[in-house]
Amino acid sequence: MPEHTDDLLDFDEEFDPLAVDDLSIDQEDMDDDNPLDTVDYPTMRNMPDEMRREGMYTPGRQGSAQDAIKSLIDHNPGRRPVLLAIMQMCAGEGMPASAVTEEVNKLQSDNLSVYAPMTLCRMLERAGGLVLEMPETHEVEEDVEEGVEYLEIKEHIDPIWHTTEDGQAVCEEFSHAPVFHDIVLDRDSAYLEVYRAVMLALDERPRTKREIDNLVDTFEVVKKPRRFGGHFVDMLERADAIEWKDRAWQLTGMGRELLPLTAPKGEE
Amino acid sequence: MAEEKQATTGEAGTDLAELMGMRARTYGMLARLFLKEVDEATLKELQGMRFPTATGNDRVDAGYRMLFDYLRLSWDDSVRELAIDYVRTFIGHGVNGYSAAYPFESVYTSERRLMMQEARAEVLATLRENGLKRGTWTEGEDHIALELEFMQRMSMRTAEALQAGDEDAAIKELRTQRAFAHDHLLNWLPMLNADMDKFAQTKFYQGLGTLTMGYVEEDAALLEELLEGVVEDAA
Repeated sequence: MPEHTDDLLDFDEEFDPLAVDDLSIDQEDMDDDNPLDTVDYPTMRNMPDEMRREGMYTPGRQGSAQDAIKSLIDHNPGRRPVLLAIMQMCAGEGMPASAVTEEVNKLQSDNLSVYAPMTLCRMLERAGGLVLEMPETHEVEEDVEEGVEYLEIKEHIDPIWHTTEDGQAVCEEFSHAPVFHDIVLDRDSAYLEVYRAVMLALDERPRTKREIDNLVDTFEVVKKPRRFGGHFVDMLERADAIEWKDRAWQLTGMGRELLPLTAPKGEE
Repeated sequence: MAEEKQATTGEAGTDLAELMGMRARTYGMLARLFLKEVDEATLKELQGMRFPTATGNDRVDAGYRMLFDYLRLSWDDSVRELAIDYVRTFIGHGVNGYSAAYPFESVYTSERRLMMQEARAEVLATLRENGLKRGTWTEGEDHIALELEFMQRMSMRTAEALQAGDEDAAIKELRTQRAFAHDHLLNWLPMLNADMDKFAQTKFYQGLGTLTMGYVEEDAALLEELLEGVVEDAA
């Protein structure tokens, strides 16, 4: 070893790293004048229970599983369609995690997310909307080669996600389009003809935002107070009546079902 | 004399070269697992591994068993779970030097548990002495992954020397590895392993700590044995 590194080995002979035990640190031993003596900071693993926080959307925090699921959906409007779709696809006999991943990736192909499919499932699980069933695992496989025994993984598990009763109840509630009834048919009923025109236009073919803007601007009712196309797109998307797909706005299946409700009285 | 040396490195040398290749692969795997989180490709590769059950070292067996137990129940979500556990185990949330199993030798061998201390300078000097550069690595050279990779590189060099019939070079490389294992790895691995046990919440990282401890211990004994033979031959 070169000479210059010998100097670096000049450890304090009395220092014994194995003797350091942070669980038995005595504050009295600390050197108050030494700014490097920072061991009096609290450590995460010694965090008091009252400081520990549970998930944001849990039955415990919101009061019930259904409230937790609805709160999760409400606070993640961009993920609402996919969260509901996950609970729908996992209802009944459930769905293997790999298939859920595949489906969610397809659903999010036009609406990218920082959340991986399994992260969304875990969020729903914490809220009480899903449960995970781990499959039975088989006996350990052993192999012997040249007298040496080995363990081998012969099969890969694919756990099953199941929608809970609470999850299904929330899906059922959303299937009645509560947001559409509340916004389009009630609070925004003065603009019903505009909503209808936009939905009819999208039913005909997908449209760009500019086309929707131009269409909306032909109505007198949007002049004062001024309403732009973006408002109608926003409300209809929130009501799951339209979606962004293939670089254009399109009417969803639910939108098609809801379209007759916008017809003038007597024309339904 | 040259003929004699060639004879001793003949068939036995080939076996020894294979052994060095196996050591390099094991050190390489361990270094990779400490270096960064497990990704999907690595998880698949690990699931395809065979885990020996009776190696003769209890720690190695227990470590392999823990890794196997975790991996046989691993699925799509395990990559995320392992990423969380990696951060919990090696990075932690505190600033006091006691909130994680810090993967740097300096932390364990300096009184104030600081990084970039004497151990780092020594490892850096060893890397330079052996013509190794840190490449794109931007942290302290006394990171456990780098120390394990050093052993991997040296094992590969030993294997190459044996295959080329250069016994002197092989012995030199083995001596370097023996010194490095004693002066560095074995000097702090017991403490890192104990902390990994405390902070890791998956069997994977608990098993990795146990396996690494056992393997380095066993490997140091092997190096000792190989080099003892050399001294006897020379005598």
